[in-house]
Amino acid sequence: MKILIIEDEKELSDSIASYLKSENYICEFAGSFHKALEKIELYDYDCILLDITIPGGSGLKLLEELKSNNKLDGVLIISAKNSLEDKVTGLTMGADDYLSKPFHLSELSARIAAIIRRKNFHGNDILKFHSIQIDTRAKYVTVKNRQLELTRKEYELLLYFISNKKRVISKNAIAEHLWGDGMEGSNDFIYTHIKNLRKKLIDAGSPDHIRSVYGMGYKFSD
Amino acid sequence: MRLLSKYNRVNVFSTTIVLLLSAICYYFFIRNALVKQLDKDLIIEEREVLDFVKENKTLPESYVYKDEQEEFHPAPSSAITRSFSSVELFNVTHGENITYRQLRFIISADGKNYEVFIRKSQEETEDLIQLVLKITLLTVVALLVSLFLVNRFLLRKLWEPFNTTLAQMKQFNLSGGTQVVLENSDIDEFTELNGAVNVMTNRVSQDFDEIKNFTENASHEIQTPLAIINSKLELLSQSENLKEEQMNTIQSIFEAGHRLAKLNQSLILLTKIDNKQFRQNGPIDFSLVVHKHMDNFEELVAAKQIMVSCNIENGVQLLIHENLADVLVSNLVTNAIKHNIEKGTISITLTSNEFSVSNTGEPLDHDPAELFERFRKGRVSSESQGLGLSIAKKICEQYNFQITYSYADLLHTIKIMFNENA
Repeated sequence: MKILIIEDEKELSDSIASYLKSENYICEFAGSFHKALEKIELYDYDCILLDITIPGGSGLKLLEELKSNNKLDGVLIISAKNSLEDKVTGLTMGADDYLSKPFHLSELSARIAAIIRRKNFHGNDILKFHSIQIDTRAKYVTVKNRQLELTRKEYELLLYFISNKKRVISKNAIAEHLWGDGMEGSNDFIYTHIKNLRKKLIDAGSPDHIRSVYGMGYKFSD
Repeated sequence: MRLLSKYNRVNVFSTTIVLLLSAICYYFFIRNALVKQLDKDLIIEEREVLDFVKENKTLPESYVYKDEQEEFHPAPSSAITRSFSSVELFNVTHGENITYRQLRFIISADGKNYEVFIRKSQEETEDLIQLVLKITLLTVVALLVSLFLVNRFLLRKLWEPFNTTLAQMKQFNLSGGTQVVLENSDIDEFTELNGAVNVMTNRVSQDFDEIKNFTENASHEIQTPLAIINSKLELLSQSENLKEEQMNTIQSIFEAGHRLAKLNQSLILLTKIDNKQFRQNGPIDFSLVVHKHMDNFEELVAAKQIMVSCNIENGVQLLIHENLADVLVSNLVTNAIKHNIEKGTISITLTSNEFSVSNTGEPLDHDPAELFERFRKGRVSSESQGLGLSIAKKICEQYNFQITYSYADLLHTIKIMFNENA
């Protein structure tokens, strides 16, 4: 799957590409308005990460360009501005999601995965990880074909893990993903949910995939 | 005191004094002039008497005619000096005492000295003076009445451009993006004022825009390096073979970076609220906002075995920006969860008049009055920035809500009273 990163901070786009590479995404870069325009006119991407403030023009203008060309590329705006106007404008102009800097790479990865799933380019709503199967449309999880009763947050947590499999995910990233701003630093809250999810997965016959990484967070691995 | 009434007070006072003084002056000057005129008439009469005596060597007849009298008496002594005076004498025609101007002098006839009195009535003079006084007083009254009317109607009209300008300035709202549009007046002072106001508001708007841009740019400039730091750390934490010590270090930097980012975002939010950059779109359903946040934390509170009792009236409409409503409710609810105790309680009440969040928790270890101050934090949450309640308070101030804190029966309660006009 192809991702275009429109971002003038090279260090940041490198980090993003490096993180996404292991999800088998192929990343291309555009550091300026004109380069980005050239790329979106020539190629199709599954998802475009769009920074609003780029040299040579506004990211919103690029978005306009994309939509007027009837391009189906998913668009995720990544902006440092966290300005409500930009967010509202971006979303009404047809962007799929908005993420303000600084963000967790795990969150970015999960959002990209969600956009690509929603766009359904590959006609597949089913996420698989070993014996675990998630039907993202029906929000339905099975382990070895047996349905798993998950609460909403447990489902979101599992989906987040699978979108970031084999990665260390920080506790703050999980807290922010589950509850939004404000609950970071309350790690015992996450712990309860992880404990329950792990128990349900094991009870259903799945091996224990959730590994606690000392001091840093959790990792969903083989 | 209004400028107009102050001006009027001074104006009326000084005008009255001046007019009264002038009336007094009038009285004396005119009286003096008229008496002088009478005296001249008397001197003419005197000359006539003298001429008569010179020619006829005898005195003319005494006579009393209406307002004129001539009397001759033998002089008691020759040492009488010629003199003018005003005297009151009975007048038969009028049947009362009236004032006469009299000239008294000595004349010799038939070898005898006579004392002569020539008198003319001063009544007409007095009448004239009274008339003058009346006219003056009438002028005073007329002037006062006209001043009053002018002030009341004309000045109000004259000041209209000023009042228009004032009203516009009162409504001037920087974040509203509206420019003050001032009409030109045909009065130079107001034109000048309007010009100055226009220049000032334009400059203020410009400065405001610059500050706004600066705030946004500053946030941009800070958030981007933070994003780089965070992403690099996240990549670094993926490395295999990290030692425990290194992982701890990475985690510490990560936490610090995270806090810095949140702090920056909170400060920007506070600045934006201060600058009133959240424009109102219309009332929103506040009940839905509260429900949304309660749903979001449903599992969390269940996991912490916190008893939640909600008493949320449906369809509470509130004039508040949607995002600020989100921040407000989220801050209060997360506080109630974070600062709660194991198996504690939270109770949420929402009516059309108030929103209150109560939770069990350790008593405060500082003055409750400081609770809403920036960077005030309780002992429990060293991780939080202590800005949550300060943001909540700022939002309440923006909408004239009353936010109060109380602690009773082991319950911390934050109550927001909505403005009744809301």
